[in-house]
Amino acid sequence: MELDVEFVGVTKSFGDFVAVDNISFSVAKGSFFSLLGPSGCGKSTTLRMTSGFEHPDSGQLRIAGQEMAGVAPYRRPTNMVFQRWALFPHMTAAENVAFGLEVERTPRREMRERVAQALALVGLSEFSHRKPGQLSGGQMQRVALARALVKRPKVLLLDEPLGALDLKLRTQMQLELKRIQREVGTTFIYVTHDQGEAMTMSDHIAVMNKGRIEQIDTPQTIYDRPATRFVAGFIGNANIAPLEIESVAGREAKVRSGGLSFVISDVDGATPGKGHMALRYERIRLGAAAAQAPLRFKADVRDVIFAGSVVQYVLALADGPLELLAEQSHEGGGALLSRGDRVDVGWEPNAPRLFAGG
Amino acid sequence: MTYAFAAPLITFFEYSFYRFRRGRLEQVFTLDTYSRFLFDSYYHVVIYDTLRMATIVTLLSLAIGYPLAYALYRINRPAIQRWLALLIFSPILVSVVVRSYGWIVLLSDQGPVNWLLLRFGVLAEPATLVFNLFGVVISLTHVFLPFVVFPIFSSLTRLDPALKEAAEDLGANWWTTFRRVTFPLSLPGVVAGAQIAFTLALGAFVTPAMLGGGRVLVLPLQVYNATTDINWPVAAVGGMALLVISMVAVAAFNRLLKYSEAR
Repeated sequence: MELDVEFVGVTKSFGDFVAVDNISFSVAKGSFFSLLGPSGCGKSTTLRMTSGFEHPDSGQLRIAGQEMAGVAPYRRPTNMVFQRWALFPHMTAAENVAFGLEVERTPRREMRERVAQALALVGLSEFSHRKPGQLSGGQMQRVALARALVKRPKVLLLDEPLGALDLKLRTQMQLELKRIQREVGTTFIYVTHDQGEAMTMSDHIAVMNKGRIEQIDTPQTIYDRPATRFVAGFIGNANIAPLEIESVAGREAKVRSGGLSFVISDVDGATPGKGHMALRYERIRLGAAAAQAPLRFKADVRDVIFAGSVVQYVLALADGPLELLAEQSHEGGGALLSRGDRVDVGWEPNAPRLFAGG
Repeated sequence: MTYAFAAPLITFFEYSFYRFRRGRLEQVFTLDTYSRFLFDSYYHVVIYDTLRMATIVTLLSLAIGYPLAYALYRINRPAIQRWLALLIFSPILVSVVVRSYGWIVLLSDQGPVNWLLLRFGVLAEPATLVFNLFGVVISLTHVFLPFVVFPIFSSLTRLDPALKEAAEDLGANWWTTFRRVTFPLSLPGVVAGAQIAFTLALGAFVTPAMLGGGRVLVLPLQVYNATTDINWPVAAVGGMALLVISMVAVAAFNRLLKYSEAR
């Protein structure tokens, strides 16, 4: 597998603040790779080191096999789509896109062709003579994308480019970005704090927290088998509850929470002592469905939250201190549970993820 | 406000149609002064000299002011930035008379500037640096610098720093980034600064009077001389001409400003 970007033990501090703490990862050629994490987790710094605007304090950074230490941003085979797009306000869309080609003295005819191609790729051919002030947010976003792609970079860097768009447009642009990425086959590195965005578009996601990488995997693995408690809480909706790990045998653990005790299977590396489990809202079964579940409990419905396509129930388990949120898809017609109801609750032994440590 | 502003102008306007003969003002309606002003080559030279001086001062202020503004913008040590800003501002704090005498001392034949030039063999004999156009231009540029630097500085600070990074990311080095992105986007500041410098230079009176040595006869001086001769009609017409030129200049600069902002 050919690698386009490799970070090896890279650290970067600003004063006393360690923004990026000894991270290593590699990105396969032609893949869509996301850096996901809350603000201040170091994802933007990682991207800016790739583009050359920041320099690692230690560690190595290679792009397409080339060591990047001391290589200025304008000499790197990367191009960036900026957070607020940073279009040149005094140039038209076409001039913005042409800028990078003019700088490298591309012949006129070739330049005109490539600019037209890039604008067509993002569906903006009719708007080529408009200035940024006359374009909508979504259109400016596309110009920024075309301006970066026209340079045919080995790696395209995107710094939360959809952050300033409204929700509908954002969803539409996600599909669009994925299509463009497939069409041009360029490696994309995408920085975002929006897990939904990262999930829908990425081949691989690196979840970052406090300057470190918590997990690198496919979206599905990250969702189904989060490696750390942070990842479990950050991606999707999960009940995170403290419990006591009583014994571990192979990949099975016996756990206890107050008067409740049950088994969790498919456990990775847990030891007896304090621990946490993460149980996704939608993995909890209720009522008749719970009857077939291997683990069954009784619970009282504390609250009902109707959100259209799904209904959420706040449940207090009868025999222990656990309070859980469960999510049921709402197909219409069926009667909802109501506050004060007593219901059967159940889940598969492999539904919760177990993490050792307080 | 309107009264205080308009009344003197109207009076002046009225005076411009009177006749001045044998040292006496006659309240007779005539267009003589205007026609002399428009067709006499003496006045043409005065107007031309005035415009030339204002243009030279404006260009020199921009040439020195832009790099200064850019330096002020790029210094990222707030303490030094504050001191530099104060230094650039300082000419305004000194009275025009004191400043002019200062320049006379500095630029005179035996002054420090000539002494230095002679000492290092740049010149064989002292150059005439004052009591001519050169001295006036130097002194006016000195005092107009803050009016040019601060508008440019403020338009530079309004630039989105991401634009420079975007240019660099697209392959532009420092110079190309400056030429294609930073400079065009700072043009509104340049135009605003030029407008202030040009109109102030048009109306400058004390500096040309003191440092011009009678060789720099600009319109305000001409008006002043007329008033000392109590030749009110000539003074009035000169004043009107100055007003019209300033208004045309302001209008032209405003046009330019709009154009530079639209880009």
